[in-house]
Amino acid sequence: MFRFTFAILLFFVPLLLVARSEEGSKIFPYQINQVTLDNGLKIFSVPFPSPGIVAYYTVVRTGSRNEIEPGLSGFAHFFEHMMFRGTEKYDKDKYNEILKLMGADNNAFTTDDYTAYHTLASSAELETIMDIESDRFMNLKYSEEDFKTEAGAILGEYNKSFSSPFMTIYEKLRETAYEKHTYKHTTMGFLKDILDMPNQYEYSLKFFDRWYRPENCAVIVVGDFDQKKLVELAHKYYGNWKRGSFTLNLPLDPPQKKEKIVNLTWKAKTLPILAIGYHGPAFSTTEVEMPTMDLISQIVFAPTSPLYNKLVVEKQLVEFIEGSQGDSRDPGLFMIFTRIKDPKNISLVRDEIYSALEEIKNKPVTDEKLSTIKSYLKYNFAMGLNNADAVASKLSHYYQLTGDPESMNKVYALYEKITPDDIMKVAKKYFTKENRTVVTLVEEGTK
Amino acid sequence: MKTLKILLIAFLFAGIIMTNINCAKGPEISELYQADSPLITFRVELKAGSINDPKGKEGLNALTSLTIGQGGTKDLTYQEVLDKLYPWAASINPQVDKEVSVFVGEVHKDNLDGFYQIFSDLLLHPRFDESDFNRSKDLLLNHLKNTLRGTDDENLGKQALNFFMFENHPYRTTEVGTVQGLQSITLDDVKEYYKRVYTKDNLKFGIAGGYPKSLLDRIKEDFGKLPSGKLAEITLTEPAPIQKMEILFVEKPARGTAISMGFPIKLTRQNKDYYALMLANSYFGEHRTFNGVLMNRLRGDRGLNYGTYSYIEHWVQDGHLRFQLPHTPRRHQYFSIWIRPVQPENAHFAIRNTMFELKKLVEDGLTEEQFEATRKFLINYSKLWVQTSSRRLGYQMDSEFYGSKFFIDEIEKELKALKLADVNNAIKKYLNAENIKVAVVANDAASLKEAMFNNAPSPIKYSSPVSQKILDEDKIIEVFPLDINKEKSKLVKVEELFEK
Repeated sequence: MFRFTFAILLFFVPLLLVARSEEGSKIFPYQINQVTLDNGLKIFSVPFPSPGIVAYYTVVRTGSRNEIEPGLSGFAHFFEHMMFRGTEKYDKDKYNEILKLMGADNNAFTTDDYTAYHTLASSAELETIMDIESDRFMNLKYSEEDFKTEAGAILGEYNKSFSSPFMTIYEKLRETAYEKHTYKHTTMGFLKDILDMPNQYEYSLKFFDRWYRPENCAVIVVGDFDQKKLVELAHKYYGNWKRGSFTLNLPLDPPQKKEKIVNLTWKAKTLPILAIGYHGPAFSTTEVEMPTMDLISQIVFAPTSPLYNKLVVEKQLVEFIEGSQGDSRDPGLFMIFTRIKDPKNISLVRDEIYSALEEIKNKPVTDEKLSTIKSYLKYNFAMGLNNADAVASKLSHYYQLTGDPESMNKVYALYEKITPDDIMKVAKKYFTKENRTVVTLVEEGTK
Repeated sequence: MKTLKILLIAFLFAGIIMTNINCAKGPEISELYQADSPLITFRVELKAGSINDPKGKEGLNALTSLTIGQGGTKDLTYQEVLDKLYPWAASINPQVDKEVSVFVGEVHKDNLDGFYQIFSDLLLHPRFDESDFNRSKDLLLNHLKNTLRGTDDENLGKQALNFFMFENHPYRTTEVGTVQGLQSITLDDVKEYYKRVYTKDNLKFGIAGGYPKSLLDRIKEDFGKLPSGKLAEITLTEPAPIQKMEILFVEKPARGTAISMGFPIKLTRQNKDYYALMLANSYFGEHRTFNGVLMNRLRGDRGLNYGTYSYIEHWVQDGHLRFQLPHTPRRHQYFSIWIRPVQPENAHFAIRNTMFELKKLVEDGLTEEQFEATRKFLINYSKLWVQTSSRRLGYQMDSEFYGSKFFIDEIEKELKALKLADVNNAIKKYLNAENIKVAVVANDAASLKEAMFNNAPSPIKYSSPVSQKILDEDKIIEVFPLDINKEKSKLVKVEELFEK
C-alpha cells in the first residue's frame, strides 16, 4: 500500500484550538475534572463518549530537556524503555501477561519536554491498570543485565530512524543552533552517548529517583469511567508515592549573534534537503509571541500560502515544504524543511523562503486571511477529538507545558487577540539573519 | 495467574447502522450511519490497483489516482481546491494498493455541502492539468528512486521481499509501479485509464458519520452519471513455489541491516482457518507488542533490535497508531516476518534466531495456556481497532471485498469457537520453516552472503553479559543450519530494484 498525503504540512502543525468556540467560551468542549493528591500527583479526567473504553495516560514532565549532564543525552527516552522492565510485585513477564489478558494497547513515548505512558483498554480494567501503573512508577526494579540488554534495543531504534536523512539533518540543525541548552540534542540522543548507555546503570537509578516523583507527574483518564471510583482508586494506589526534591537548573542559550551554516552529504540516494531554523519563544498562556509564531507558520507555509503555491504547485521546485515551531517549555526553534528536486535550485529555494519571511515583516496580513487561518485551526482541533486516546494525548500535551491542561483554552484566547501588527512585530524580532541556522544535505558526489 | 475480568466493550458504536445499498442507478454504497458524529468520512473504493497496470506502463493506476486526488476539478485548479479545503481543515487522501485504490475524505459536518461538491468533482470531473500530472509523476518517481532506494531501509526490505516473493505474479511491482513504467506514462495515458476504469460499476462509495440521508440520493444521482463498464478481473497466477531458503541481498549504504522474510499462503479473511492462524500469529509476533515470541526473544532477551513481528496478510501500520491500516484487501496473501534493523555483525544471527523460533512454532505449536491467553487478548484487542468511524468503515468495506461478515465481529465469534487443535493444525497447514524467501538490505551484502552461503557460525556480539540460559541457547542458534538455495539466491545493487 502506498498512501499519499494531500498536504504534508498538516502532519507538522502543532495541535491547536477547537470547534464551536464563541468569544469568551472555552475551546475544549469537555469538562476537565482535576484532583490533586497530598503528595502532589494530579489526576485529570474527562468523561468522553467511548462506551466501555478508557484511555489512561501517565505523564512525566521530564524529557530530553532534563538531560543536563554531558555524555548522557537520550536518557529520558532510554528510561522510558526501562519502565517496562518490571517490579518485585509484577516482573516484566507478569506485567506483559496482565496487559495481554486485558487486550490492552499499551506503549509510551518521549519528547523534548515530557514522557507519556499510555494504555487503551476496557473500562472494566481501570483498577488493574492503576495497580500495575502505580506499582512501576513507585517500585521499578531492574537488573544491570536487563539494563544493558535494553541499550541494544535503543541502538536498534537509532539504526532504524537514522536510515532517513531527515533525522540526520534534524539532529544537525539542533546541534548547531543551540550552544548550551539541552534542546541541542534530539530525544534520541547523540550516537556516542547511546553507545555508552550500557555503562550508565548507576545514573539510571539516579534518573528515576529524581524525576519519577508525584509532583512531577499527572494521571490523565479519558473515556467511560466513574469519577468517584477513579478518585478512590487514585488515593489507594498512588497515595504512598513519595515526593522528590531535585531542582532542574538549565543552562540557557545567549541570543544567537551570527548566522550558522552547515553542509552535509548522504551516502545513499537522496534528493537535496534544506533545513532552516530560527530561535523562537517558549510556550506561554499570557504572551502572544508563541501563538503568533503558529499563525506565521500558517501564513507563510500552509498549502494556501503564496510560497507553497510558487514552490510546490507552480514552479514545482520542491516536493514539499513545511515550517512551524512546536510548543516547548523553553525557547524553541522554528524549523523549516523542504526537499528540493534539483540540487541546482537549492539557493533559489532558500532565497524564496527568506523573501516570504521578509514580506510578512512589512506587509500586514488581511483580516480575511486571519479569519481563514482561525477557521482552519478551529476545525483542525475539533476533528482531532474523535476518540478517547486522541483526547487524552491532547490533554497530556497541554498539561506538560504548564502543569495544567486548561492552558489550551488560554492559548486559544490568545489567538483571538493577535493583530496584524503583532505578526509583523514578532516576524521582525525572530526571522533575522543572525538568528538563523541553515543546514543543507545532498547526495555524496553532488556538484 | 490473575483472574481475567470480563471485558465489556459491548457497543463501541452504539446506535450505528451498517448497510450496503445496491442500486441499479448509481454505484454501490456502503453506509455506516452515526447520528451523533460531526465528522463525516467518505471512502470511495475503485476496484483497480497496480495489478491493472498495462505492461510497460507500471504505475498508471497510482499516477491516475494521485493526479485526480491531488489535482483540480473542472471548475477549480489544484491551488483553488487547496484554498477551499483549508479553512475546513478537510482532507482528501488517495491510497493505492494491489487490487483496490481508495479516496478517503474527511470533513466536519458544518462544511459537508461544499466539501462533497469538491470531493465528487475531483472524481467525476477531474481537471487533468499538465502541471498536476507532472507534479504527481515526480512524486512517485522520487518515491522509488530516492526514498525507497536511499532513505527508508525498512520499507525497502519489505518491497524487495514483495518483488522476490511475487516475481512472476501480478503483485510483482510496487503499488506505484516501476521507474521505467512511470517514466513512459503520458497525460493521455492517464486520461484514457480514467475513462476506461473509473466507471460506476468499478466504484463503490463508502460513507460514515452523521450525514443527512438526502446525501445518499445525491451520491447515487451524481455517480450514476459515470459510464457503465466493469473491468475484467485479473487472474492471479500462483506464485512460484519456494525451494529451501531463497535470499535476495540488496546492497546499499546502510547503518543497520533491515530484513524481511516470508512466503505466500493460500488464506484470506474468507477462510475459516484465517482465525486459527491469526491466533497463532498473534502469539508468535503480534505487531509492536511484547506478547510475541519474536519480540521477546530477539529484543527482550538479546537487545538485537527495536522489534521483530510477524503477519499473516499484507499489513501496513496506520500512521502513529499500532493498528493495521484498513482498506487494503487482497485475494492473495502472504506470511511475513519483519526484523527491524540489526547491527550488521548480528544480521546472520538474527535470521538464525528467527528461523529457530519459527521452527519451534511449526513443530511444537501452542500450549493450552498460550492458546487461551492469546485468544483472550485478541478478542479484546481487536475491539480497539475500530475507535474511529473512518477505520470502522474501512474494515466494513474490506469485509465486503472478501464477501464475509463484519471482520471485527467475526473475530470474536470465530475465536470463541476455536480449539487448540484448530490452531496447531493451521500452523502445520500454512506455515513452514524450510521454504522461505528472505530480503536483506545491507551495507556489505557480499560478506553477509558469503557467510550465509558457507553456513559459517555467527556468534552474537553482546555489549554486556546476558544470562547463562540465553548464552546456552545462543550456542545452538549461532550454528543453526539454514538450508540456503544458492542458485535461487542473488545479490543486487539497490539501483536495480524497481527499475522495470
